[in-house]
Amino acid sequence: MRKNEGQWLWGLLAAPGTIWLLLLFALPFYGLACVAFGEIDPIFRNAVAAWNPLEWRFENFGEVMGEILTGSLRRVFVRTFGYVLAAVVLSFLIGYPVAYYLARHAGRWRGLLLALMILPFWVNYLMRMLAWVNLLQVDGWATKAFSAFGFQYNFLDGKGITVILGLVYGYVPFLVLPLYASLERLDVRLLEAARDLGASPGHAFRMVTVPLSRPGMMAAGVIIALPMFGDYYTNDMLSRSPATEMIGNQVDFYLNGTTQPQKGAVLVLVLSAMLVVFMSYYLVTTMRMQRELQT
Amino acid sequence: MTDRYGFNRRRFLQGSAAVAGGLMLPASLLSACGDDNVSGSALTLARPDRPVTLPTAVNPIAGGLSHEGGTLQILNWVDYLNPDTLARFEELYGVKTAVTTYDTEEIALNKLRSGAFQPDLIIGLTDSVLPRLVAADLLQPLNKSYLSNFNNVIAGLRDPYYDVGAQYTVPYIIYSTGIGYRADMDVDTSYFDSGNGWDILWDPAYSGRLGILDSYRDVIGSVLHRNGEDINTGDQKVLDAVLEDLREMAAATNPKIDILAYTEVPAGTRAVNQCWSGDMLLGVWYLPEDVDWNVLSYWQPDDMVTGNDFFCIPTNSARPVLAHEFTNFFLDVDNALENFGWTGYQPALEALPASTLIEWEYVPPNLENALITPEQYAAGKRAVALEPEVDNRWTDVWAAFNAG
Repeated sequence: MRKNEGQWLWGLLAAPGTIWLLLLFALPFYGLACVAFGEIDPIFRNAVAAWNPLEWRFENFGEVMGEILTGSLRRVFVRTFGYVLAAVVLSFLIGYPVAYYLARHAGRWRGLLLALMILPFWVNYLMRMLAWVNLLQVDGWATKAFSAFGFQYNFLDGKGITVILGLVYGYVPFLVLPLYASLERLDVRLLEAARDLGASPGHAFRMVTVPLSRPGMMAAGVIIALPMFGDYYTNDMLSRSPATEMIGNQVDFYLNGTTQPQKGAVLVLVLSAMLVVFMSYYLVTTMRMQRELQT
Repeated sequence: MTDRYGFNRRRFLQGSAAVAGGLMLPASLLSACGDDNVSGSALTLARPDRPVTLPTAVNPIAGGLSHEGGTLQILNWVDYLNPDTLARFEELYGVKTAVTTYDTEEIALNKLRSGAFQPDLIIGLTDSVLPRLVAADLLQPLNKSYLSNFNNVIAGLRDPYYDVGAQYTVPYIIYSTGIGYRADMDVDTSYFDSGNGWDILWDPAYSGRLGILDSYRDVIGSVLHRNGEDINTGDQKVLDAVLEDLREMAAATNPKIDILAYTEVPAGTRAVNQCWSGDMLLGVWYLPEDVDWNVLSYWQPDDMVTGNDFFCIPTNSARPVLAHEFTNFFLDVDNALENFGWTGYQPALEALPASTLIEWEYVPPNLENALITPEQYAAGKRAVALEPEVDNRWTDVWAAFNAG
């Protein structure tokens, strides 16, 4: 096969994915921007998208940005970032040992344990959250268990910790699998070499396993952090209190509960722009790590 | 919301609030009985003291026709009709019914405008969305000759301010906004005796055991009522004061914001909850078996805020006669009573007095005040549709309150 033919073939193979991205991401995202910078129908009070960028209006954008920088939305953004950070850290504390055990020590049980790890994917996210509501309500098993030890705590009366735990519970399976894939590919001979050179198991873990699993950790962190930023139903189900409002709740309110959908669209754009910064950091870091591993 | 816990029928009020800014209509589209417009010549908003006669672009269907048979397509909130009553209608008329649900009035409006779904009958919409439906020629005027039971409707709604002459609508349910509580959970009822029971929502004694409605229209309206202000105000200063009050409430009681009073109060997970009257009427069926049904209680101010929703028939209805027959069927007192026994929401009928409902054990005696009498309805305040810019102020206050 000539070189040009090969390039043509690879381009063709990428076409479905490219079309998919254009139709289901780029175009809707542009539509969102057109809503954010568009107008409201004076009679029906629904969004009228401004498809021509020359007709975009930026009053709503300015108003929302003002709220984010100095108004009530600043608290929501700070809170959301705090919750997501806490949930991601907790997810790693729980998920990394599990993934490590699966990859390195599960032996013949690995297949079964992996299947069990995938099991939560069979149950709808909302159903799993409802299960938590049952466990944590006043007469729920978890609350009763805490009470048995003399610890009275109402988890469901608008506590941030409950929302964070809900996020961890909901997303930790999404963290374990990519981490497992990363750790499972780790070259065992590198660990053996570290041990042969006198490293203790703990030292070898810190100096070899952790650095080599960093790309997997980055990927897993991004996979769970991105949806957490836009999550609103976990908060809705486990708290629904002003004390725990997240960005997703404000987006949901403006898009579904008001006649100001353009403000919800602006919030989505701002959140997306922030996440693009994180994604860029992830991509740059990943590429740098790959280069380091190759040299 | 989207279908939060699947209890969408409760969202009809929330949805009505969500679209409360939708009555911005050119004067040419509406003709008002009153001589002044709320927001200048471009706007005509219906008010109890400024009723609106909606324009009719088409004539009602002819009278004396036989119904079309087949399957009556109904657009409705989830669980907002008793299946047994539906089955009796089907049997009586030899037809089928199919119910498609909507989550918010905006969604219903968009469904109708897009033409993706063409129902024969719509149930549960409110006056907030009505003028827009008429402006888009999406509704047909009713032929009252098919509605022989129309006089069962409470007097105050036979000629409603939002649809003078009831040309397009027939009332379905009436409700008020108040506070539901469990009398056996150490609730200080002196708040309710004082006349301004809303104050209990600021009492830190109920922190963690208190809820408010997930409806900015109802919550802000109640705070305005508590403060003695106009419950439909557009005054930014007054609304700013409401925001401060709401933040004080959040600091004092950290309220849960949802529409689950009818399950949470009976279950005892909340002692106090702002709610709609129907929540407590329905809530008796959610009480634990070992709890007396008299513990559920409800308070509403003497000058209560009342509202209603209605039946209406789309212009493109394929079975308009059957839709009329269906509406008339639910205006029958016995059928409405059966329906009430399942939905828990009070029919807007004159001939269902509280004494009868209590005597027949549809309602416990202590919830008598959750039933609205025609006189109370007539004297009550109305949370009317807000002008778009006023509605935006309200939603911004609500968003800021929710931001914590």
